[in-house]
Amino acid sequence: MKAERENLFHLLEPLLPHVEHPSRYLDHEWGACEEQDGPFHLCMCYADVYEVGQPNLGMAILYNAVNAQPGMSCERAYLPWKDMAALMRERGVPMLSLEGAAPLASFDAVGFTLAHELIWTNVIEALDLAGIAVEAAERDEDDPIILAGGPSAWNCEPMADVFDAVLLGDGEESIVEVCEKIRERRAAGDSRAELLLGLSKLRGVYVPSLYDVVVDEASTRWGYAVPKPGTGAPDVVTKSCIPDLAATPAVAGEIVPYMGIVQDRLSLEVLRGCARGCRFCQAGMTYRPVRERPFEQVVEAGEAGLAASGHDEISLTSLSTTDHSQCARILNRMHADLGDRGIRVSIPSQRLDSFGVEMALAVGGGKKGGLTFAPEAGSQRLRDVINKNVTEDDLERAARNAFENGWRRCKLYFMMGLPTETDEDIVGIVRAAERVLEIGREVVGRGYKSGVSVSISVAVFVPKCYTPFQWCGQLAPEEVRRRQQLLLHSCSDRGVRIAYHDSSTSLVEGAISKMGRAGFALLREAWSRGCRFDAWTSEFSFDRWAEAAAACGYDLEDIACEQFPLDARLPWDHTSPGVSKGFLQREWRRAAEGVTTPDCTRTSCVGCGVCPTLGVSNVIVEERK
Amino acid sequence: MSGPRPQPWGDAKPQDLALIKELPRLRVEYRKDDRLAYLGHLEVLETVSRCIRRAQLPFSVGNGFARRMRIQFSQALPVGASSDCEYFDLRLGENIDPDAALERLAAATPAALAPSRAAYVDGRAPALESWLTRSRWSVLVKDCAAGADALSGRVSALKEAGDLEYLRGEKVKHIDVSSALVSFEAMDVEGGVALVLDTRSSNAGALRPQILIDAALKGAGEGSGYDCLKVRRVSQAHEAEDGSLVSPL
Repeated sequence: MKAERENLFHLLEPLLPHVEHPSRYLDHEWGACEEQDGPFHLCMCYADVYEVGQPNLGMAILYNAVNAQPGMSCERAYLPWKDMAALMRERGVPMLSLEGAAPLASFDAVGFTLAHELIWTNVIEALDLAGIAVEAAERDEDDPIILAGGPSAWNCEPMADVFDAVLLGDGEESIVEVCEKIRERRAAGDSRAELLLGLSKLRGVYVPSLYDVVVDEASTRWGYAVPKPGTGAPDVVTKSCIPDLAATPAVAGEIVPYMGIVQDRLSLEVLRGCARGCRFCQAGMTYRPVRERPFEQVVEAGEAGLAASGHDEISLTSLSTTDHSQCARILNRMHADLGDRGIRVSIPSQRLDSFGVEMALAVGGGKKGGLTFAPEAGSQRLRDVINKNVTEDDLERAARNAFENGWRRCKLYFMMGLPTETDEDIVGIVRAAERVLEIGREVVGRGYKSGVSVSISVAVFVPKCYTPFQWCGQLAPEEVRRRQQLLLHSCSDRGVRIAYHDSSTSLVEGAISKMGRAGFALLREAWSRGCRFDAWTSEFSFDRWAEAAAACGYDLEDIACEQFPLDARLPWDHTSPGVSKGFLQREWRRAAEGVTTPDCTRTSCVGCGVCPTLGVSNVIVEERK
Repeated sequence: MSGPRPQPWGDAKPQDLALIKELPRLRVEYRKDDRLAYLGHLEVLETVSRCIRRAQLPFSVGNGFARRMRIQFSQALPVGASSDCEYFDLRLGENIDPDAALERLAAATPAALAPSRAAYVDGRAPALESWLTRSRWSVLVKDCAAGADALSGRVSALKEAGDLEYLRGEKVKHIDVSSALVSFEAMDVEGGVALVLDTRSSNAGALRPQILIDAALKGAGEGSGYDCLKVRRVSQAHEAEDGSLVSPL
C-alpha cells in the first residue's frame, strides 16, 4: 500500500548532529521549489550523496520542466551517506525527499538519474531504504512508478527488473508526457499493468516488463529482448530528441547549494551532442545530433543566471564546448563583462589545437593554472583507430602555443586497452608526454625554477554499448597491470608525472556494462554483500564484487573480456539512440583498418542514421572553424 | 621566451590602487537559525558571499590570483548551534546607504540567515574574528534528570579544576575552563535545564558550550549526547582592557 504523504523532517533532524555533513539533508536552498502542492508528485532521485548529485544537469532540467507544469510538482532526493543510512534504518526512518521531507514511497513516481553503471547498487540501496520493492514485479498496484533515464540507461538490461519504465534520450519533454500519462491513467482507475502499457506507447519510453529475453544461436549469452505477444510494445524503442536547443532554457541549475558540491558553479549548456565521432565515446553517439545555442541566448542567460544565483563561476558545458561555432565570441564577451566582478568563466576541456589554447586564453584571462588536453592514444596509428582526429603536430602546436602563452603545467589524458593496442602504443604515451615536456623546456627554460611539468592520466578503456567498439572485449586486468608497469618503466624523466586507473574498478564497470537482464542477480547479490558507492575509491571493494559474482556463477573477467561477434543480436538492440547498427559496424571495420571518419558538422553527412531516424538535423549557428 | 606576465589588476600601477583600509567597511549582523544551524562555518561563508552577489552590493574584490570578495567574518559558530548575532565586515568599492544595503541583502538571503542590522565601521578597526572575544550562550539541556543544581555543581567543579580535556574528532584537545568560562547560571525549566553561559575566547582557544555540558553531564552521571542540547549564541562583544564590553555595532 502506498505510504502516506507527510513531512517527516522531525524524524530526520535529531539524526543531524550525529552524521558527517548534515547540510546534505537540509533542503531550503536558494532557488529550490518549496511549493510542492501537486497533486501529482514526482521525486527525482540521484543515487549518490548530495554533493555529487546536486550538480547533475540532467536532473536539474527535469526538475524545472515538471515544476513548470500546473498540478505537478517535482522534489529531489539523494542517497544518504552510510552513517545516515545506518541511523535511519536503526530508527525506522525511510528515505525522504528533500523539499517536502516526504517518504519516497508516498510519491506517484520516482525517477532515477543513471549517470554511470557503478551507481546501480546505490539505486537498489535507495529503493530498499525507501521501503519500495526493489523488483518491479513485486510492487503493489498503488506503489510509485519507478522511472529511470540518463547516460547509463542505454544498456539498463541488468537493472530491467527494477524499473517500471526507462526514458531514453532527451528527457525535458518526455518526462512531462510520462507524468501526464501516469496521472491520467491513475485518474481513470487503470491497473498498474494497463498504465505501463500506456507508457510504452510514448516515444522514447521503454517498459522492460513488456519484453521477453530470448537466448539463441543468433544472440550472445545474454540474449536479446523481444516484445511480449499481444502487448503492442515496439520492437525497437527509439530515443526522444529535442530538435532545437534554443527553445529550452539555457540555465537549468537554479538551486544554489549551501555545501561545497563537486561542480560548484553555474552551468550553462551551450550545445548538446558531438559529431567528432570518437569511436570509444558513448555520449558522442547517443547525444546526436549537434544542437548549438545561439550567442545571444548564452550571454543573456549567463548574465541573468549569475545575478539570480550569486555564483562566482560560470561553466559553459557540453561534450565539446570549443566546437561551438560562436565559442570565441561568447568567451570574449563573457570575459569582458564578468572579469572585473571576480567571476570566472570555465569550459570543461580544451580542443587539441591552437584554437583550443586561444579559447583557454579567453577563458582564463591573465590566470594560468594547468591546461588539459586529451590525445587519448599515444601513437598516430591508434588515434586513427579510435577516430581521434588529431595529429602529433596538433599536439605539439597546442603545447608550444600554451607554453608561449604563459602556461607551465600541462595535463594529458590517455586510455589504455584500446582495440589493436600494442606495447609501442603504450611507450608512445610516454614519448608524447616527454615531447610536450621538451617543448615546454625549449620555450620556458630548463631547471626546476621554470616550473614546467607534464602529468598524464591513463584510464582503462571500457567498451560501451552503441559505440563502434561495443563488440570488443575489455583488456584482461593482468594485462592492464603489465601495461601499466610498462608505462611506468618507459618513463625516465621526473618532469612527467604518471597516474592511472585501478584495473579492478574498470573490470566491474566493464562487466556490468556488457551484461543482459540476467545480470541483475549479480547486482542484487553485490548489494546484499555491502557494495555501495562503488564509484568512490574509498568504498569500492573488488573482493565483495568477486564473491558476489562467484555466488551467482559468474566470472567478472570472463564477462568483461568477452568479444561479441559482429553479427550477433546484442542485449540492447531493442533500444536505439538513432545511430544505426550498420553505421557502427562500418565504423568498427574502418577502425580495424585505421581509417578515420570526418565530423559531419564540418564536412558532409557520414551516414550515422540519426537525422533520418529521428527527423532532426544538426543545428549549427555559424560555420565551424 | 614568453612576454611579461599579465597582472590581475590590469594596466593600473600598484601605487594607484585603493588602500584596503580606505575602502568603506560595512558591518552586518545576521542570524543563523532553524535547520540552517547545521551549516558549517565554511558553508556559511560561501552562502553569505553568494547572497552579497545576488544583492548586487558594490563589493570590493582582492587583487590576488583568485579574485575574492573582501570580506571578514566573526568567529565560527559550532555546527548545530543557532545564533542571533553573527557578524561580517564587507569592504565596498563605493559608499551606499547602509539601510538600503541591508534591505537588498535581506531580499537576497534565506530567511534563516537574515541580516538584522548594518552600519559602517572604522576601516582600520581590528579584524572581527580576533576582536570579538566574548560570547553569551543560551543552552537548553532537554530532559535533564540531574536538574539545575546538580548541573551547576558540576560546571563549578569544572571551572575550579581549570583544564578540561576533550576529543575533537580523534585529536585530544585542552581548554582552560577557569579562564574561558566567565560566568554561568542554570535553572530548571519545563522540559529540562536552561543555562546562560558567558565565555571568553583567546589565542588559547574558545570554549564550546557542547564540550562543557558534555563534561558536566558525564560528571553528573548522565550520558552526553547532541540530541539533548539546544545551543544559541545570543550576543557577542569585545572585552576591553578594563573589562568593559564593547558592542560590535
